[in-house]
Amino acid sequence: MVRYVAQRVGQSILAIFLTVSTVFVLVRLAPGDPAAAYASPLATTAELDRIRAQFGLDKPLIQQYGIFVQDLFHGNLGTSFSFQASALDVVLSRMPYTIMLAVSAILFAAVVAIPAGVWMARHADTARELGANVAMIAGQSMPEFWSGIMLLTVFAVLVPVLPASGFTSWAGLVLPTVTVGILQIALISRLVRREMGAGFAAPYLTIARSRGIPERGLTWRYAMGNSAVPVVTALGTRFAAMLNGVVVVEVVFAWPGVGSLVVRALETRDYPLIQATVLVTAVLTVLVQLLIDLTYPLLDPRVRLGKAVAS
Amino acid sequence: MTATTVGPADGSGSRDTAASPGRPSAVTAKDLARSAAVRRRKSARLKIWVGSVGVALVVLPVALANLLPIPGPDEQSLSLRRLPPLTGGHLFGTDQLGRDLLSRVLHGGQVSLTVGVLAIIVSGVIGLIAGAAAGFFGGWVDTVVSRLLEAQLSLPLLLMLLLVVALFGPSIPVITFVIAFAQWPEVARLTRSLVLVEREKPYVAAARVLGLHRVTTLLRHVLPNVVKQASLVILLLLAQAVLLESALSYLGAGPQRPFATWGRIIADGQDYITTSWWLVTLPGLVIVLLVVGVNLLGDGLRDRARRRKGPQTEGKVSRA
Amino acid sequence: MTAEFDEDDRPLLEVEDLQIELMTEAGIVRAVDGVSFVIRHGETVTIIGESGSGKSTTAMGILRLLPPELAVLSGTARFQGVDVIADPRAVRKVRGRTVSLIPQDPMTALSPVHTIGQQLREAVRLRHRGLSRAETVSRSVDLLARMHIPDPASQLGKYPHQLSGGMLQRVLIAIALAGSPVLLVADEPTSALDVTVQAGILGLLLEVQENTGIGILMITHDIGVARLVSDRIHVMKDGRFVESGEAEQIVNAPRDPYTRKLLTAVPRLGPWDEDGESPDAPIALGEPR
Repeated sequence: MVRYVAQRVGQSILAIFLTVSTVFVLVRLAPGDPAAAYASPLATTAELDRIRAQFGLDKPLIQQYGIFVQDLFHGNLGTSFSFQASALDVVLSRMPYTIMLAVSAILFAAVVAIPAGVWMARHADTARELGANVAMIAGQSMPEFWSGIMLLTVFAVLVPVLPASGFTSWAGLVLPTVTVGILQIALISRLVRREMGAGFAAPYLTIARSRGIPERGLTWRYAMGNSAVPVVTALGTRFAAMLNGVVVVEVVFAWPGVGSLVVRALETRDYPLIQATVLVTAVLTVLVQLLIDLTYPLLDPRVRLGKAVAS
Repeated sequence: MTATTVGPADGSGSRDTAASPGRPSAVTAKDLARSAAVRRRKSARLKIWVGSVGVALVVLPVALANLLPIPGPDEQSLSLRRLPPLTGGHLFGTDQLGRDLLSRVLHGGQVSLTVGVLAIIVSGVIGLIAGAAAGFFGGWVDTVVSRLLEAQLSLPLLLMLLLVVALFGPSIPVITFVIAFAQWPEVARLTRSLVLVEREKPYVAAARVLGLHRVTTLLRHVLPNVVKQASLVILLLLAQAVLLESALSYLGAGPQRPFATWGRIIADGQDYITTSWWLVTLPGLVIVLLVVGVNLLGDGLRDRARRRKGPQTEGKVSRA
Repeated sequence: MTAEFDEDDRPLLEVEDLQIELMTEAGIVRAVDGVSFVIRHGETVTIIGESGSGKSTTAMGILRLLPPELAVLSGTARFQGVDVIADPRAVRKVRGRTVSLIPQDPMTALSPVHTIGQQLREAVRLRHRGLSRAETVSRSVDLLARMHIPDPASQLGKYPHQLSGGMLQRVLIAIALAGSPVLLVADEPTSALDVTVQAGILGLLLEVQENTGIGILMITHDIGVARLVSDRIHVMKDGRFVESGEAEQIVNAPRDPYTRKLLTAVPRLGPWDEDGESPDAPIALGEPR
């Protein structure tokens, strides 16, 4: 158990380190001079040199990397030049909105997708299941920005019952949540259906049925109990993916989160800000995944107690 | 065991009574129509058909866009701005600059599809090689590939992709590479697990006894056996590639030349959504039709492959 | 163990002309083709056959464990008079109360994420509603003790993967007996176990039968097992019984050529008096009769 946790924490640190290094290499590999990007277009050569010295760009690459990592440990991710403020602070001030949207979307998706998936598994190979399955495939096939614009047009423009953009009241959360939710429901419900299908086919379920245990108990206690790990994993992975995946939906609804921030940063070539966004999101993603993995021992005794067979 | 062959898929038709003398079969046409075997076959066939039609409806016009009697995608006509669909010979109407929307969608689709197809070829090849090597050779190769696969799960992928496009510019090769980078793990993971199974089969041992080089064995004998299953997943990735490309181009990180792609067209039309619904709705429906088609086709083919592989009953009663 | 049933006693299980057809991808397969047999109080009836002969399908079929979208059943199967073929819903009254199943592979027969205790207590409560928790636990401990499981109270907190196959099979027999059924269907109960453990499980089943007078439907491919436990044996091939009769008659004077082939196909099988010779045979166990 302790070993499992230690191993997972180690992996997380490795993943963050890898992301950090990738970002570093990418920015250095890119054509063009970062100093030129930072400075005003009219900067002189002397000014550019000063900037290079200021950011350590005149040092060897390996040394630059050392400084870069050192700065990270001090929480120094550079200065956003469009905001003229610490890039980290700008990102952190936007993060709560993105997390709010992701949490609301994953809750909405879980509440709809789990019962839907169970229902589909129970009605496996019927016309009803085929219909539900096709509907889910359709949900999975819509570009989020498109379904977002469509929902927005219908519920905020044609029938103005919900706010169209921004976050001024809780009602503003509804349309973005539904937009993100459609895709997540499609993905999660099909996974739940697969896992539950495997659960229903398991020998212990047939044996439990032979003991006279009612179908309801078989579904929720036996099949669901044994599908818990993959379903929780899927919810966690989807949630982690949403921390950066809601970019598109944030842009559609002008949601004040990290996604719309990063798109603006891209337009203004605000590299420190993009870098900070990627790093903060990566750390969050890794933490979420670590948390999910740490729930496995609670859900599956085989992880908790080790695989060794007694006697 | 006395087996009676059911007629193909129709579920009701050619049902003989069992060949053995004595009792007639108690299986009614209704039982048969409800049976899992018949239903699975029917639903797989339905998915394949509907999927193929959806794909064809989009891909054929896109491929033949240059031959169709429609205006060029860049022919502006400011007097004919934002015409609704079906007016003045414009099937999809015109956009804010008076350009024919259908033409723009079809020509943009050529770029979108090219990027999508190139991306899945690249990710397919990389994924196949990495996954097969990891599964076949094991050891440190497997460790490296598996760690990479794990690490990529933790990357904030979309942000990284946007960063790469911002740094290297939204050209077709960059976007292709970016999408392929997002997709290779799926192929690699599947190939690895397939090769792990394949590796244990007797013919691999036989090849070793015959003194064949391990790389030769892998390329000539193992890979051909897994390519078919892996290619189904690669087909499904086309759907994702198209969606990812459209999202990038909606965010302004898509290819701009030679033609704006679907995401860009929708982003451009967004400002006119209240007055000109078609500018967003129609290009979106084209994407949905194509992606639903690919997904249904892939799903149906996978169902059919699974059925063929395990002709019995999905382990429900594998005893007897 | 032989012939102690009461003629007036209603049979525990009457199967008449049972036919099971499977609707597979390859077409309709008649897996069970008109078999009939009866099990009375205290009797063990064995269906023996090779894999694919339809013996397990028979067992699963009469318990209605074959999914309706796969299998079509006809004929009759009456558990103490309740016909579960005519009325598939009736099987709910029967499962766990009249008849229980002992599975083929104990390692996969229990939910891996629930403790032995949870699964055993659930089975106890199904039959005996309104028991307090303490009573349920003590009944569970009692059941495990009857199965000769050492330190039964501490086993309740364990998960299936922490026990050996032989122990799990004992637990499964305890769970099967929790609802006090009158009939056990044992579907190859020893074939997934080590040979050394097989004898113990068979001995336990016979002991349970001696104490409670429970009827047993034994499904096996092992003539050694069949000879050890059976009162009557039905030899099954391609969905039909090719020969049926008293155990001794089938083993010592088989009439059907297929039965003879089956007997000679088991190398360790010899005349009755050679039993103790082969160390790994289940029949090496001291005869419980």
